[in-house]
Amino acid sequence: MLAVVVVLIAMVLLLGVLVVGLLRSHADIIRALHSLGVGVGDPAAGDPSGGVETPVALRTNPALLNPPLPSERNSTSVFDLEGRAPGGDELVVSVSTAGETLLAFLSSGCTSCQAFWSALGDPAQRALLPASTRVVVVTKGPEWESADTIAAKAPPGITVIMSTAAWSDYEVPGSPFFVLVDGEAGRRIGEGVAHQLSQVADLVGRADVDARGPFASTSAPSRAMAVGLNGAEREQANDEELRRAGIHPGDPSLYPRGLDDVFASTAHLARPGPEATSEPVSTPTPQR
Amino acid sequence: MASLRGQGLSAELPPGFEGRVFRRAAAVGTETYPVMHFATFPIPENTADFGGGVPVAMSPTDIFAVLFQYGPESLGKALFARVGMPRTLSPEHFKPYLLRRGAPGQAGTQWFFTENGKPFTFYAVLGSSVLATSLVPRVNRLLAGITITPPAPLSAAAAPTTTVGGA
Repeated sequence: MLAVVVVLIAMVLLLGVLVVGLLRSHADIIRALHSLGVGVGDPAAGDPSGGVETPVALRTNPALLNPPLPSERNSTSVFDLEGRAPGGDELVVSVSTAGETLLAFLSSGCTSCQAFWSALGDPAQRALLPASTRVVVVTKGPEWESADTIAAKAPPGITVIMSTAAWSDYEVPGSPFFVLVDGEAGRRIGEGVAHQLSQVADLVGRADVDARGPFASTSAPSRAMAVGLNGAEREQANDEELRRAGIHPGDPSLYPRGLDDVFASTAHLARPGPEATSEPVSTPTPQR
Repeated sequence: MASLRGQGLSAELPPGFEGRVFRRAAAVGTETYPVMHFATFPIPENTADFGGGVPVAMSPTDIFAVLFQYGPESLGKALFARVGMPRTLSPEHFKPYLLRRGAPGQAGTQWFFTENGKPFTFYAVLGSSVLATSLVPRVNRLLAGITITPPAPLSAAAAPTTTVGGA
């Protein structure tokens, strides 16, 4: 019995020492936090240990941040390109002089870009893109790229402009990167990354469909929309338009399980190339 | 408003215009001078100094313009007697017979002048003479933004530029 009491007393003393130790450790932590200015209480009261008395300032490294975007800009804003041709000409390329302009942001050094440098110079591959779409290759300026190297890679007949400002204007995250601009509407209608020109052609086709609607080139504006029909009349008018477009009850596009079902009925507008993949390269630029 | 500057010339381009300034490679014993192209359509690569066949493909609402500098041997000649570039043109200044090479329905104008000690010609083509009333004000906005800087001092200008530009 005596032995049990002794053991219990010893255990209580041991636990007491542990508790005191923990409390002391906790106090040290709180004191350290307080000396950094984030402790509880009034830091201005001073710290006898000589620690800082002002709160820790949260700073960002300005070198890692781009300048803030002007408030009037959004993700569909477009900009004319000011820069220099690899041959030395000074250039201003306006994105409003063509119906659609595809800006191909490429670098001389990136491995993925090599396929595009050669594909854009190959008339057969260039034909994957709509003939009405102007292609402009945009590299960084002479301060980042060698003009001679770019000149050697420049596809014949395609405008190449060296402009670091354009990369900043279009907030290009890296190369290769593609931006499709609707010159008439004055906005970006698609942007994204691709690894083959056929994927870019797919992007252009889908952006066209998304921007203008699947029936834009094949039918007049919806009668329902034009005359402001509602209710059963509007439903009937819509059914009629769908039938004219070859979409009948039970058509898979009416019950889409994925993008392929939706775009199957408009594939003729998207001009898919022979190497086109079923995966979308990018989604059209959302309104920010 | 986009800015185009180089070769002693600069231009503030009105909306819808693009441009290029270049100087062709000089053959041995010759010297070349700056050329500026302006257009409301994509300027093809390798466009000739005065557009070549480019204006033929213009749409009726398009404008193509050239500012071409001549050598100092042209200074003082009667053709360049006009002082200063014309800054305000009217539809009457554009005539079909002034086209160097164009398509039916188009109209052109050409002016020779000297400004800041440099001899130039300004040549412009309208896609349609019928639309001159609406197109000429756009040409005037373009003209208003063009600046010709005086020649560099003789010591700096002594070395002729042989940079390859345009084609």
